[in-house]
Parts: sequence; structure tokens; C-alpha cells
Amino acid sequence: MNKRSQVLSMFQHGALALMCAAAIIPLYWMVISSLKNESEIFTASLFPLQPTFGNYSYAFSQMPIVRMIFNSFGVSILMTVLQLATGLLAAYALVRWRFRGKSLIFALLSVTWLIPFQAIMIPNYVLINDMGLNETLLGIVLPFGVSTFAILSLYQAFQSFPGVLIEAACIDGLSDWGILTRLILPNIRSTVASLGIIQFINAWNEYLWPMLVTKDMNSAPIQIGLKLFVNSDTNMWGSLMAATTVSCLPILLIYLVLRRQIVDSFIRFGIK
Amino acid sequence: MSKTMEELYSPLVKGKQKAAARNWNSSKLWRKLKPYLYLLPAAILLGIWMYKPLIHTFYLAFHKWSMVPGTDKLFVGFDNFTRLLQNEAFAGAIGNTVFYTLGLLPFSIAIPLVLAVVTNQMNPRMKNFYRALFFIPMILAPVSVSAIWRWLFHPSNGIVNHLLLKLGFVQEQIAFFSDASWAKWIILLITGWKMLGFSTIMFAAALTGINREYYEAGAIDGAGSFRQFLYITVPLMSPMILFMLTMSLLFSSQWTFAYIDILTTGGPYGTSTNIYYEMYRFAFSNLNVGVSSAAAMLFFVLFGLIALSLNAVSRRFAFYDN
Repeated sequence: MNKRSQVLSMFQHGALALMCAAAIIPLYWMVISSLKNESEIFTASLFPLQPTFGNYSYAFSQMPIVRMIFNSFGVSILMTVLQLATGLLAAYALVRWRFRGKSLIFALLSVTWLIPFQAIMIPNYVLINDMGLNETLLGIVLPFGVSTFAILSLYQAFQSFPGVLIEAACIDGLSDWGILTRLILPNIRSTVASLGIIQFINAWNEYLWPMLVTKDMNSAPIQIGLKLFVNSDTNMWGSLMAATTVSCLPILLIYLVLRRQIVDSFIRFGIK
Repeated sequence: MSKTMEELYSPLVKGKQKAAARNWNSSKLWRKLKPYLYLLPAAILLGIWMYKPLIHTFYLAFHKWSMVPGTDKLFVGFDNFTRLLQNEAFAGAIGNTVFYTLGLLPFSIAIPLVLAVVTNQMNPRMKNFYRALFFIPMILAPVSVSAIWRWLFHPSNGIVNHLLLKLGFVQEQIAFFSDASWAKWIILLITGWKMLGFSTIMFAAALTGINREYYEAGAIDGAGSFRQFLYITVPLMSPMILFMLTMSLLFSSQWTFAYIDILTTGGPYGTSTNIYYEMYRFAFSNLNVGVSSAAAMLFFVLFGLIALSLNAVSRRFAFYDN
């Protein structure tokens, strides 16, 4: 029995170590390649013998990277805040009151889960162009200002809030708005924060829509700029990996600080 | 900060309360209207950016239009649908979509399930350490991931080709992204790589919810670990398995989109494209809005039916431990 459990334990660690290696090695290779100089970049050496930041300075000189990172932050923060705000208000209404058309609203919200972006991209693209919002951050954000995923997740979180407390607050004369902002919100802060993290990461990683709206590097989020750089068919793999490293860095730093919360919130809310 | 927020909002709140107290009738109307007011911001945005465009796409599916502003949309009936179904490239895209959808299942269900079960009994510290690492691919952007894999699998200078040559597995370098027999496998591999850690963690989380007593009872009845897995773990995990199955079947072709666009643009000769990428190409490369919309509608309905039947299956077969 003892021997068997030892074998099992070795197998466990082996399987996990293998998976971790598979997850990490591509990232390791990205960072290492970004630090190699021109003569070393095409060799298989596992770490740079003469590490250089030359690739970074070249990448920064070729693309407005700082500007694009800034754009990405702007888009992601704005999107997240809008989604949380609209989601909180809507979820509150759905939990708090019974009203006509509620089940229809739930049905409509659930259906959006099945609408692929390709089924709405053309009209949205035309509309953004008509509004003159292409090449703007607002144009990227607007169609994603509300997320049914956020509404339904917050609805679930609200439901677990004890109704007795709400009734008590009501009797104490707290207004409906007060109940939301002073009673419920402070108590489900961590849930809202977890959801916010997911929405931020999703916004940061969004691809198809920002690609349609922005073509110019100065108005593009970092993902789109990176794509333009990848497709420019240069053989500057060192600087391409430098740019890629920079594009991953914000998310990786956030992950380093909040990894428990991030993993937990993905488990709690799943993905869309 | 929060204090100033309160000060900002409090006059408004008091005003509302006063108005409500003043007149019973208006307060009743106000109460009836209130839920809708809270729903309004979400409803407006959803209406403009989700439901209206969906209906508009349905309308466009029956018209011929090239997206040029000011030009007329010509009604063509079911022409777009027949042209779509006769389009050979699209038939290939459907085949690839099935390939990606089925091909992802080992990465989203089978391997993660086994990994989660095997590592279930591990000490929590180690488990958290591993978790933190293999979750990373999940949170990275598709563009960054594509750039990295493009470099790893680079035809002449990539590390993968380098290793394959050195170890003698191949005689000459493989052009992974422009070789028809490789392109879609690489895209599948990347999508699976991104999915694997996430699925494992989802299953691991579901496993911790299973009552240990079932296994003790199973062990007393003489069930070995494999039979315990089959008769205890799988049934009790069925809600999570069905959930992940639904996600995987419905969204795998959407997840591959970015990799296709960045790494192969559907090629070589359309061997790595899928339906969602073709919809994008119909609209924005060929400027054939009608056919793109027809395809979008067709698959919206089809995936809707798949989702409904999966939902029915999970109602019928998912086993809940109360």
C-alpha cells in the first residue's frame, strides 16, 4: 500500500510538473528571446549569454507602445466600470422587485449568451462608422458597455444576500438607492471585485472588435498594435518578443499580486 | 472618496423620498416604474448594441449589400443562403469547425478530468502552487499567445523545428503554418493549451465538493480506484462535465478565431479556416454582407438548437447530490 501510494504521488507530481512546464515554457522562451542579441536569437541557448535590452528599445522606437498600453488600460477600465455599473443596477432591479415582463427579460438576457459576435458585428461596425467613432477608444468600449454575463453573475450574488436585512433596512427608512449603495454593495464588495477582475482581463484580451474599429497604431490597444507588428513580416523576432512581453506584462503583474482571487473568480463565474 | 459620493447622492435620495411622501398616487406610479428605471441603462445599451444589430443582421441576410455608405440594399430572398450552401470554401470551413470542436474535447474534458482526479488528494499548498502556474495560459491575450507560438514554430528558426531536427525526428524543417497537413493541428494545439489548465481547475473545484463518504463506502464494497472513478466520481461530477461540454461545444470555434486570423488567415488553401472566420472574411474581405449575415443567422440558430438540446440532456442526466 505504501509503495503504491508513493508511486501514485510520483505520478501526481510528474503529471502536474509536465503541465506546468507546458504552460510556462512558451512564456519563458518569449522572455529569453527578447533579451538575446542578434547573433544569439537564432540559437537554441536556454538563456542569453549577453543579455541586451536592445530589442526593447527597437520595439519602443518602432511602435507607440506606451501609448497603446495606455489605450488598453483606458478601454479596459472604462469597459469594466460601465459593465459593473449597468450590471449592478439591472441585477438590483431583478432581485428587489417583482414586476411585469421580468421573465421575458431573463429570457432575453439568457439568449445573448448564444449570440456570436459575428452575428452582430456588421450592423455595429456600420453604426460606429456612422457615429464617427472609428479610431476612438469610445468606439471600442460602447458596444461592450453592458455585459449580460455580469448582470446574471451579480444577480446570483444579490440573491444570496439575506432578504430579511433588506426588509429591516426598508423599515428603518433607507431608500432603495441607499439599500443598494450602503447595505448590499459594501457586503458583496469582494464579489464585485472578482467579477471586475474577470471583466478587466477579458476587455484587455478582446480582439475582433478592437481590430475592426482601429487600424492606426496611435488609437489602437496594445493587442491590435502587436498584431500589426506580427504581420509586418519583419524578421525582428527579438523585438517582436520584446513587444509581446510588454503586452503580457500588465496582466501578469496583476496576476502575480491577485492570483488567488483571479483563479477563484474564474472558478466562481466561469468564462464567456 | 466614498464620503464625497455619499454627499453627492444624499440630496437626491432625500428629494425622492419627499416626493414620494407628498402624494400617494405618484408614489405608487413611481414604485411601479422604479424597476424599469434601474434596468434602463443596461436595456438601452443592449438594445442598441445587441438586439437591434441581431435583427438587422437577420434583415441583411436577405439582401445584397457591400457596406458602402449610401448604396441601396437589394432584396434577394433566399439567394444568400443558397449561395452559401453551394460555396465549396464554406463546406470546408464547416468540416474544420467540426474538427476544432471535437478536437478540443480532450483538452477541455478528458485530460483535465483525469488530472483533477489524480491530483485531488494532494497537499493544498502544492496544489495551489501548481494551480497558479497552469492557469497562466488562460489569462493571456490571444494575440500575445499567437506571437509566442509563431516564434516557437517558426519554419526556419523556431525552437521546435530546431529540436525536431536535432533529435532526428525530421529530415528538414516543417513549415507548420503554411503546410496544409499541419496548420489546423497547430491552431487546435494552441487553443487546447489555453484551455487545459482552466478546465483542470474547474474540475478540481467541483471535486472538492464531493462528499468523501461515498468513496469510503465504495472502498468497503470492494470498488477499485478505476471503478470508483467511473461509478462515483463521474456521476457526481456530471453537472460540471456537462457545463464544460456545453461551453466547449458552443465556443471552441469562437476561441480559435484570433489564432486563425493571426497565424494562418485561414490558409493554406482554406484548410485551417472555420465558419466564424469565413463570416468575417465574407463581410470584411469580400464585402459581401448578405452571405456573411446569412451564415451568421444559420449558425446562430444551429448553435441555439445544440444549446437547447444540451440543456435538455443536462436536466435529464445530470446527477445532483442533495
